Amino acid sequence: MSDSVQAKQTKPVAFRGGGFSPIHIKWVGLSVFVTLILVLEAGTRSGFISNLTMPRPSDVGWTFVELWTSGLLWKHVLPSVSRLLVGATLGASLGIGVGILIGLFSYIRAGLVPLISAIFPVPKIALLPLFVIWFGIDETSKYALIAFGTFTPTVVSTFGAVDNVDRSLIRMGQSFSLSWFSIVTKIVLPGAMPGILSGLRVSLAIAIILLVAAEMLGAEYGIGAYILQAGSLYDLERLFAGVVILSVMGVTVSAVIGFFEKRLLGWRS
Amino acid sequence: MDLRLENIGHSYGDMEVMQGMDLEIPAGKRVCSVGPSGCGKSTLLRLIGGLEQPTTGRVLQIGEPPAESLNPLTFVFQDFALLPWRTVEGNISLVLEDHGIRGKQADAIISDVLARTKLTEFRKALPKQLSGGMKQRVAISRALAVNPAVMLMDEPLSALDSQTRELLMDDLVSLWTREPFTAVYVTHNLHEAVRLGHFIVVLSRRPGRIREVVAVDKPLAERELGDADLEQTQKYLWNLMREEALAADKELINV
Amino acid sequence: MTKINRRQTIGLMAGVAASALIALPAQAKTKIKVGALRFTSHAASFVAFERGYFDDAGLDVEFVFFDAAQPMAIAVASGDVDYAVTAISGGLISLAEKGAAKVVGGALSEEKGIDGQKILVSDAAFKSGVTDPSKLDGRSFAITQAGSSFHYMGAKIAAKEGITLKFVPLQKTGAIIGAIKSGQVDAWSIVPHIAKPLAASGAVHIIGDVADYVDNYQVTTVFTSAGNAANEREQTQAFLTAFSRGAADFNAALVDKTAGDDGAEDMVKLVHKYVYADRPYEKAAPSIINGAMRINADAAMNVASIKDQLDWFKAEDLVKDSITYDTLVDGSYVKAK
Repeated sequence: MSDSVQAKQTKPVAFRGGGFSPIHIKWVGLSVFVTLILVLEAGTRSGFISNLTMPRPSDVGWTFVELWTSGLLWKHVLPSVSRLLVGATLGASLGIGVGILIGLFSYIRAGLVPLISAIFPVPKIALLPLFVIWFGIDETSKYALIAFGTFTPTVVSTFGAVDNVDRSLIRMGQSFSLSWFSIVTKIVLPGAMPGILSGLRVSLAIAIILLVAAEMLGAEYGIGAYILQAGSLYDLERLFAGVVILSVMGVTVSAVIGFFEKRLLGWRS
Repeated sequence: MDLRLENIGHSYGDMEVMQGMDLEIPAGKRVCSVGPSGCGKSTLLRLIGGLEQPTTGRVLQIGEPPAESLNPLTFVFQDFALLPWRTVEGNISLVLEDHGIRGKQADAIISDVLARTKLTEFRKALPKQLSGGMKQRVAISRALAVNPAVMLMDEPLSALDSQTRELLMDDLVSLWTREPFTAVYVTHNLHEAVRLGHFIVVLSRRPGRIREVVAVDKPLAERELGDADLEQTQKYLWNLMREEALAADKELINV
Repeated sequence: MTKINRRQTIGLMAGVAASALIALPAQAKTKIKVGALRFTSHAASFVAFERGYFDDAGLDVEFVFFDAAQPMAIAVASGDVDYAVTAISGGLISLAEKGAAKVVGGALSEEKGIDGQKILVSDAAFKSGVTDPSKLDGRSFAITQAGSSFHYMGAKIAAKEGITLKFVPLQKTGAIIGAIKSGQVDAWSIVPHIAKPLAASGAVHIIGDVADYVDNYQVTTVFTSAGNAANEREQTQAFLTAFSRGAADFNAALVDKTAGDDGAEDMVKLVHKYVYADRPYEKAAPSIINGAMRINADAAMNVASIKDQLDWFKAEDLVKDSITYDTLVDGSYVKAK
């Protein structure tokens, strides 16, 4: 027996697990960014990338410096931020309200879900001229467009979140004879909060996209107006500077939601 | 307060899950209900607790529940059903708030039930920080907080590993010996049934009917792991159920 | 974008032109693409095409149609289109600065005495007393985008009257028309064939002529890629020659009216194939006739006007200060006016 074991080849069992589990690696994302910018810089300086195709990153940087020193940066950013705040707050809070009503009441669900499904895919930009007639050319139509654009996705994600609240928790509430109002405020709403917040991530990104559309009509200042103007002037440096500002807004919104998730959803394992 | 089941039958659509059940649940007794899977044990409990309405028959409450009972029929669920966003304390105060019990009065009740379930030091912990056994203790203390006349326990130990289960069973025994309460305890585990029940109701497979009610006379405090007479009862129960369980296992699931 | 192949339209061509074509010696023609908007102001190219002037010049032209001037300028810069006609805008100047586009000739101009672009006000503004451009102080003035020709015209009006205007960007002429009709904006300036029907409806009022505020306004120019301007001199010259012949026919028929009624009608019919083609002839004809403005003879350029526009764009910080007239314009092809 032992002889035959001796005679047989012995080798370690080959490892075949591993992979398929994302791990957090620092700095890689940042270095991809930096490399891309360096390549662009070198390419535009050497003439390998024509200035018609891409702006020189350092020129975009200088555009920022100019925006900053001339005070124009805030003149453009502040109106956009206030449009975003008013419009998105309006749309999202209405959306959460209606979403919860749909989640709770079968009649409201039956009445409104088809309507919401019908208006969800309508490109809100297409309705811009109509909004101008309804709400005038000033700020109100911009608020309305952003609010309308955030409303529908928020409704859908909110009633989805309410539907997904663990039914066993609601049954528990009933078993302790909690009032309907207590069940809604203490069980349904907190339980729907993760879904509502992740829905807000999407809705607020849509709000930023719509900001540019909202500022197509009658906006003298604003990041969207700035980008549109840069586009029509074929001024790539300003165009990219504007796009970077929009990206920063997106990252900021995402960070704010992340903060709220940490504060409100710390209970999640 | 006693409970009486009269000719209870229940169907989900065309499927009859239960028929012709009559049962007495006297105050101060622990009734364990066992049966093969799908016999409607949990449904029976929800019917008793008023979370579902029987298709035929009725559940009767005989006599008034004690005045200090806030929620006479109180459940303990298999999956604990704790609000993950509330602390241990918050989960208990949840069921008191609706009765207008807040502040010091609530504090006193919470401290008392946490002491009884040995959870005092976990008062501020979130459910995610607790093990399964601890979570079920929180659920039990929450149930105790409302002074139930009847405790309806739906497989309370089934989600736990076997060691934790033994420990928690000991805790249940000591809880009961200190302050007896009426309980209906549903389980598929015969060992739990013989350890905890005054009566063991054996159900047949679907549609569930009562096959036999087996009494266990030995006082609770004297029952121990590996008791020969309990083993005997458990074996008897198993023989009763074996055929049913085998047949139930072979049924196609079309629920 | 619609493309009309030369060969597909051969059958439609007049007999004279067809026989002229046959008479030509068989030689390979240079294929070029010409960008156009379906406006009367682009008629010179359509005439040159329909009457075979491009063929005479040895060019095989394919039209590429656009909805707006801006994408057309970019198409020239990217090389998708060889020649195009459009207003001098900030975008065009920026593309010239990047070495992508070059103005080589003049097209539409304002001329005192000939119906040109009109200054409009909304009914509400008119009723509140804005009956003259001098009374526009503090009012809103619609533009498509900052740096568009509308922006330039508004600024010139404001400068000459010594007033301030609030410029409202509305992106598209359709949106502007809606806004001025409903009184959301007070004023606008636009070509006569759009201005007149609007005024006729009563929703807006014409209160002045752009020509009074901008001297010899060179409204549109012929431009091409910098590469064509520098390296394809023969082809560019050929294009300008044919374009000028088309322009001359157009001016004679509809601006100077020296071709007689039949000549005018022929011209309107020709233009109608491209402009307002979706409307019946009877309805399209007045619009086409109303929209007829002079296209410079021999594609000459109003140098002073172009310089003035360039300076204004620079002063408004819409384009880089470093751009010179020679960066924008290649003056070697046509005469200065």
